[in-house]
Amino acid sequence: MSKRVEQKSRARERVAAQRAAELRAERRKRLLLALGAVAVVIIVVGGLVAVRLAGGGKETSTGPSGAADTSLITALKSIPASTFAAVGSDGVQAAPSAITAPALTADGKPKVLYIGAEFCPYCAAERWPVTVALSRFGNFSNLGTTHSAGNDVFPNTATLSFHGASYTSQYLAFTGVETTTNEEVNGQYAPLDTPAAADQSTFDTYNKPPYVQSAGSIPFVDLGGKFVTSGASYSPELLAGKTQTEIADALKDPASPIAKAVDGSANVYTAALCQLTNNQPGAVCTTDAVKAAAGKLGKS
Amino acid sequence: MSETTRSGVVTERRPLGWLPWTTLALSIAGVAVAAYLTYEHFTAGSTLACPNTGVVNCVKVTSSEYSKLLGVPVALLGLGFFAAMTVLSLPPLWRTPSPWPGRLRLAAVIVGVVFVCYLIWAELFRIDAICLWCTVVHALTLVLFGLVVVRAALPPIEE
Repeated sequence: MSKRVEQKSRARERVAAQRAAELRAERRKRLLLALGAVAVVIIVVGGLVAVRLAGGGKETSTGPSGAADTSLITALKSIPASTFAAVGSDGVQAAPSAITAPALTADGKPKVLYIGAEFCPYCAAERWPVTVALSRFGNFSNLGTTHSAGNDVFPNTATLSFHGASYTSQYLAFTGVETTTNEEVNGQYAPLDTPAAADQSTFDTYNKPPYVQSAGSIPFVDLGGKFVTSGASYSPELLAGKTQTEIADALKDPASPIAKAVDGSANVYTAALCQLTNNQPGAVCTTDAVKAAAGKLGKS
Repeated sequence: MSETTRSGVVTERRPLGWLPWTTLALSIAGVAVAAYLTYEHFTAGSTLACPNTGVVNCVKVTSSEYSKLLGVPVALLGLGFFAAMTVLSLPPLWRTPSPWPGRLRLAAVIVGVVFVCYLIWAELFRIDAICLWCTVVHALTLVLFGLVVVRAALPPIEE
């Protein structure tokens, strides 16, 4: 009798031990599965970082860079007055704001200071209206062509470059600074132009609230110490897939969205510049489109 | 910790342990950081400007085309994720005998970690900039994933 009870008890213990072992094995399996999932995630994230650090998966910039040919510069200077008039400035979303500051001059003339960089897609967009507006007051030479970085937003936006360019005008002086190229070297865009100390001081002083929306952003444009603006006046998306020549051609057509954005913004820049030149030249500053665009100029 | 049942029997409650409390703390931290990023998205995203040339550049990330998914700001999705995780990590939902809070927690962190991998890829290979606050969110999500997955593999708290 007692032997039977003992046997039964041993059998129960064996079953219990077996169940406990199965449970332990199941828990171990679940834990290994969980730790395996964590390891997979760590490997995936670590792999992404490692590939990036090794320089893989990077898109390089595409598109030509060089000097703007004469036909391009001529096209920018010969936009018909009727196009500027038809486009107006009603659709312009951002405009330079008036500031109270010492006059910015060079060679006895009001000076326009542009600070941007070749990698920057918003600089790529804004160079077009800045160049078109300044071309109504003088002539550019050695203007470059380039494109924004291929690995930034709005990649490879076709544009001009002020690096190495010169500007002559009886009304205005111009300094264009492109601080970097559109190509990275060791994780940073390669340096290009270094702003003169006075230009850097202007940038540091007026490229921050309340003069502009956010501090240190580019492109930054100071118009004779009377107006400043930071950022693009339209989205670079508008220029996607276009070459410099296609953009220049579009600027003549008042129905083109590119003309509406670029020529419209150029009208507003022109209105600001006319306030620096005492409305000279009259053929530009007395047009209805420019006079109307003056109403777009903001106050900081 | 003790609890009196309806029949008047006093039962001892097992402590939650450090893992659920850590999950709750990380979720609350995530809510704070995601709320800040959501604010940044809506305030900084309107400027059509390049902030600077550095690799660490939060505005470039939070205002990039990858900052939205189907029109919804990813910062807002992150805020929703951490808010949900905070609720799911409250002590009563760790103790409940219902399997659903645990399943939802697991599903949330799996979706979260997949999304974080996508965002890390976008930062490294598309936007070419790193946002430190976004990196904090990514790290919190990865740690939450680890904690929730490991906790799901352990015996239930009230077993």
